[in-house]
Amino acid sequence: MAATSAPVTEAAAAAAAPGRWQSARFRRRVAAGVIFAAMVVVAVVMLYPFWYMGDNSFRNQSQFDLQHGHSIAGWTQLFQDLPVVHEMISSTIVCAASIAIILVVSTTAGFAFAKLRYRGSGLVFLLIVAAMMVPLQSVIIPEYVNLAKFNLTSSYTGAVLLYAALGAPFATFLMATYYRGISDELIEAAVMDGLSYERTFLRIALPLSIPALATVTVLQFIQIWDDLLVGYLFLPTNDRTITVGLAVLSSGRTTGIPPLMAGSLLSAVPAIAVYLFFQRYLIRGLTLGMGK
Amino acid sequence: MSATLDPPARRPGRSRLARRRRRAGMLLSIPAVVLVAGLLWVPIGQAVRYSLTTWDGYSAPTWIGPSAYTSAFSDPIVHRVLENNALLLLAVPFAIGIPLVIAVLLHEHVRGWKFFRSVYFLPTAISWVVIGMVALQFFADKGILNQLLSDVGLGFVHTDMLASQYTALAALAITFIWSMIGTNTIIFLTGMATLDPTLLEAAKVDGLSRWQTFYRVTLPLLTRFIQFSFVITVISAFSALFSLIFVMTGGGPGLGTTTLEFFVYQAGFAQGQFGTGALYGIVLFVIMIIVGIGQLRLIRPDDGEGW
Repeated sequence: MAATSAPVTEAAAAAAAPGRWQSARFRRRVAAGVIFAAMVVVAVVMLYPFWYMGDNSFRNQSQFDLQHGHSIAGWTQLFQDLPVVHEMISSTIVCAASIAIILVVSTTAGFAFAKLRYRGSGLVFLLIVAAMMVPLQSVIIPEYVNLAKFNLTSSYTGAVLLYAALGAPFATFLMATYYRGISDELIEAAVMDGLSYERTFLRIALPLSIPALATVTVLQFIQIWDDLLVGYLFLPTNDRTITVGLAVLSSGRTTGIPPLMAGSLLSAVPAIAVYLFFQRYLIRGLTLGMGK
Repeated sequence: MSATLDPPARRPGRSRLARRRRRAGMLLSIPAVVLVAGLLWVPIGQAVRYSLTTWDGYSAPTWIGPSAYTSAFSDPIVHRVLENNALLLLAVPFAIGIPLVIAVLLHEHVRGWKFFRSVYFLPTAISWVVIGMVALQFFADKGILNQLLSDVGLGFVHTDMLASQYTALAALAITFIWSMIGTNTIIFLTGMATLDPTLLEAAKVDGLSRWQTFYRVTLPLLTRFIQFSFVITVISAFSALFSLIFVMTGGGPGLGTTTLEFFVYQAGFAQGQFGTGALYGIVLFVIMIIVGIGQLRLIRPDDGEGW
């Protein structure tokens, strides 16, 4: 059994010469192996739910009960009996509209707080950023009263506005931080060339901030796509998002598990896709809150 | 104040420009102010007002005043709910400790560490609703956990965690810890990337073991990041678990998994007590503020020497 791979030779040599057991290189290799094994274990724990969803979506109820055999029953049931396609469209509309509002208010305000300071702008900035501390549950009852009063719960409008308001504080903070990094000279030069401050924002600052826009978009997309409470309370029953639809079905305890697992997987696909493509923007946004 | 922002003084019409800049600043901040004030700060004010009344949302509210708070805090049901919140805090050390270990191991950069990092962070993209549905199957009477136990020959330890109050809360806490792993691991990895590699080298040269290096060098330098993840974790535990509770237990059995945030929903929307619901919401808000501010005092590092 001549050396087929490096680790084998290493181990054999170590066994042959007991002194080598003490070698730093060998110990490092063992440590790396142990760490690798630990990481595989963690990976299995983290990925198991995805495998479980996939596995059990391809069953019918009796196959699920027995945990044996597969079929496409879960998926056909999902698309035949449940309004998932409409719900996916609702989710998309709600996300797109909310994110559009968040991008508009956070870029304009972020630019103002970073580059166009006025008397009291620091205080206004604080007021907006401090709203990050407001938990949704603390305002949910007044929201319900207000949105119902203005008749905004019979369409997407109420939920969209609330999502936008909930996302705006952090987005504004992030954009202001980003715009502070743009040099004042650049802005003033544009103004000297005859552009108004508003146009300078649109033509100079906004194009420069596309990476920050991506971060805000990705963070908010995942946040809103995955939300239950706002959508559950403020969207009309016929226009529920996929996340709300699944939660209601699940809590009803009458829908079989296979279609629920298929629906879960379906609902997770857009968020996972966004995650995979824009991972670095997501991570940047998450860690930006830590500041310097 | 604005003078510091101005370009060099040679420009003509400086003050006119400054005035235009201020006006543009106000104009551009209006949309955000309207949105945030109208949908967050005004409702907080309303919630405070509602909390001082008894109101079913339809008929005229009855004014109670501050005694609404004293009577709420002497209610044994509220005590039970707050107990759940307190017990949930027991999950926090695990939700921070496990990712800390994972981050340290990832930082060793063994083969495939980037792949592992992506995998660990993946659940962050998944909704609590989906996580809750799988967790429900995991902890169920005929679920995955019991299957696993019997597979390894521990079939006699049959569990039905969701069937009784404290075990249901434990199941919720375990699911919560699992969900926080990705976020906190990323926070710690970001922290470790800021560490000066020569410090770790120096520790090695000085003959410190891996454990000593972690405990004496890495950990103290990560204090700021541990604080940050502490705040994120507590805020999540207290205000992000609605969907998980909704899907996994519906707050039960009994009040077993009803935390303050879920109690707001139940009081307001299941029982139609808008006044009491708003009151619990305000209590939650105050707790969040205390967590946000208090943590700075609690675990402020003494110039990097321990914590």
